[in-house]
This record gives sequence, C-alpha cells and structure tokens, in this order.
Amino acid sequence: MMILEILLQSFWAGIAAIGFAVLFNVPRRVIFSIWTLGALGGLIKFTAIQFESGIVFASFLGATVIGIVSIQMAHMRHSPPLVFSIPSVIPMVPGFFAYKMMLGLIALTSIENTDAYLQTLIETVNNGAKMTFVLIALGIGVALPMLITRKESIKKSPFNKRKKANVLS
Amino acid sequence: MTIFVHPLKRISHPLKTKILSEDAQSAGNILLETGAMLMSSGASTHRTRLTLERIAHGLGYGVELLITQRALMLTIIEKDQQHFFSRLKRISPHGVNFRIVSGISHLSWNVLEDNWTIAQISDELKRLKSLPHYPRLVVLGLVGLAGAAFCRIFGGGYTEMAVAFIATVVGLFVRQETLRVKFNPYLCVFFAAFAASLIAGLAEHFQIDIDSDTAFATSVLFLVPGVPLINSVTDLMDGNIQNGIVRAMNGLMISFSIAMGLFAAKMILNF
Repeated sequence: MMILEILLQSFWAGIAAIGFAVLFNVPRRVIFSIWTLGALGGLIKFTAIQFESGIVFASFLGATVIGIVSIQMAHMRHSPPLVFSIPSVIPMVPGFFAYKMMLGLIALTSIENTDAYLQTLIETVNNGAKMTFVLIALGIGVALPMLITRKESIKKSPFNKRKKANVLS
Repeated sequence: MTIFVHPLKRISHPLKTKILSEDAQSAGNILLETGAMLMSSGASTHRTRLTLERIAHGLGYGVELLITQRALMLTIIEKDQQHFFSRLKRISPHGVNFRIVSGISHLSWNVLEDNWTIAQISDELKRLKSLPHYPRLVVLGLVGLAGAAFCRIFGGGYTEMAVAFIATVVGLFVRQETLRVKFNPYLCVFFAAFAASLIAGLAEHFQIDIDSDTAFATSVLFLVPGVPLINSVTDLMDGNIQNGIVRAMNGLMISFSIAMGLFAAKMILNF
C-alpha cells in the first residue's frame, strides 16, 4: 500500500516536472526524459522520507540523483544538463513550508497573547529553516555532479570517455 | 643628466587602438548577442562564459568577458595581442527559454568542430529567436496539471486537485496578460498569486468540505522562482558570487511578491 502511494506520488511529481518544462519552453524531444527524471527524483525523495531520513537529506538525495542522471541524458538527447535538471527538480521545491512560514510571519504581526505568540514563532522558525535548507540542498544536489565531473566541458567528462575513444579509433 | 620619460612611453610595443577589421567587429557583436540571449534565457554564468569562449576560439580570437545579470562587457583580442575590440551590451530580461540554451549549445560545438562562419552563426541565432513557443492552450493545460500534481503530492484529494488546476490556469493566464501589457515583473507575479489564491480561497468559501490549506498553498506553486534560485546556488559555488547574490535576491523578491499576493487574497476572504 505504501509502495503504491510512493509510486503514485512519483508519477505526479513527473507530471509537475512536465508542466514546468513546458513553461520553460524546452525542446520537444526531451519532454519524456524530463518526466522520467522528475518521477525518479520523486521516487528517491519519497522513499528516503519513508526511511525517516528527514526532508532535507531526502531532497538532497533526490536532487543529486537527478543531477547525475541529467548529465547522462545530456549525451543521449543532445541538450545541456540544466535543461533536464531544473524542471525535474522544481517539484521538490518546498512551497508548502514557504507558505506556512509566510502565514506565520504575517500572524506574528498581530498576536497579543504571549503563549500563542511563542507557539507561532516556534512553528514559523521551524518551517522557515526547513524551507531554507531544502532549497540549499536542492541547489547543491543539482550542481554537485556537474562540478565533480567537469573538466573543460561536459563533452570531455569521464562519462563520455567511451564515445571519444570510438571517435579516435 | 637623465630626462624624465613617462613610464607608458617606455613600452616598446605600445597598444594600438587601431580599429579591427570588419570581421572581428562582427564577431564581437555576434558574441555579445549570443551571451545576452544565454543570460536572459536562464543559463548559469559559467555556461555563458564557457560557450562564448568556445565560439571565440572557434572563430580564432581570444576573448575577455565581464558577465553581470543586466549587462555584458566583452573585449575581443586578435592573435597578435595588439589589436582589440571592446563593447558593452545591455541584457534585457525575457524569461526562461531552454530551447535557446539548448540551441546555442549545439551552435557552439558546430563552430568549434565544423568551422562555422560568422554569417552561419548569425543565421542560426535568428532561427533560434524565431523558434515557436508551445501553443498557449497547451501551456495553460499542462501547467494547470502541474498545479494539480503539486496538490496531489502534498496530500490533496480529487476536489482539491480540481481547485488547484483551475486556480493555476487562471493565475497563469493573469500572469501572461499582465506580462503582455508590460507591467513591472514583480507586480505581474503579485497579480498572478493574488488571482490564483483568491480562486482557491473562494472554492473554500462556497464548499466547506475541502482541505483549504492544501489547495491554497499549491495554487501559487507554479510561480516559484526555481530557475533564479537554483542558478544562484550554481553561480555561488562556481565563484561567481556577485551574480549568485543578484539571482538570489531576484528569487527572494519574486517569493515576496507571491507572499504578498497570498496575503492580499487572505485579507479579502477573511474580511
């Protein structure tokens, strides 16, 4: 039951990725790849959350896998990696926490009761911290694989050695 | 007794400010055009620099660049290191367009490997600029679906998903229309967030049995500044601190506009 729910959520994460891909006007040939990547990232994130790794680390794992696979996809589909990675990572953006934090901040301007104020303050700081760290985790997770594999450019990265050898021989 | 000579006059090969050949000038202009297109379509600073250097080397010039968010400065140097051509170009923001990023990446490799000429590059840039966007209805429908998908991910049921779909479509429509009449970009985001959350909130107003928070929060998620924020982290890690900070600030301003839109809608609904 849990597995089915995770799979369904991943499916919808892929759909959300396609929505952003169309908004960003990606080439038509990469849309299915973006769905795959978005669903894959969602699958890893939701599975990691099931194993109680916390939302920040789960998002980081998902984003890192998206970053690595997008480099491979860049070779297969002949587009730069960021075309794949940015739309697929956006479904993981912690919009709900940002929303909660904003509502909390707005509420803080008008609460008079001290106890209620403290309670709201705690929740707001918690949501804000989660949002900030998830965002940083997403950014670093996407950027890290590219920074590690980068020499001069993607076309000369170790992922591409086989192709280069073929050209030379 | 020695006569004082100004230090600059002692250089044996003084820099010649002779204007370069027509070819080098148009190469410089093409590079500026390419860089401006890349920056305004959402490429990171490192990618822009890499692509421009690749094209310049393919054409046989050295190049020095200053890349900022709103302007691009370039000096193109001939191989003899004595003649150069400098120019500054303003970058006008157009919104993210990955078709251009992808196309220019192809183009830079064509220049390096197939020795494209400047005329060919110029034609290709024109072609890339005229590439069509997706049809408006398709964009509205798919982004609406994305809103519904967000709602599903955050635990909404079918009713909430339908509300999120409609709210997202209306919000995006408002954003497209306000952008078309050239409002301030942050104001466009504000209006879009306001319209979307107002619709999500109205749905709650008339039909009590939905979990309003989920629909309310996910109806504005299509506005999240994903590209500025992720590019900001990439730039910061690449050492392009200035551009990273500018992008982060831009992302924060957009987030703030979304929050203000939500706030305004909530005020009206609670009134």
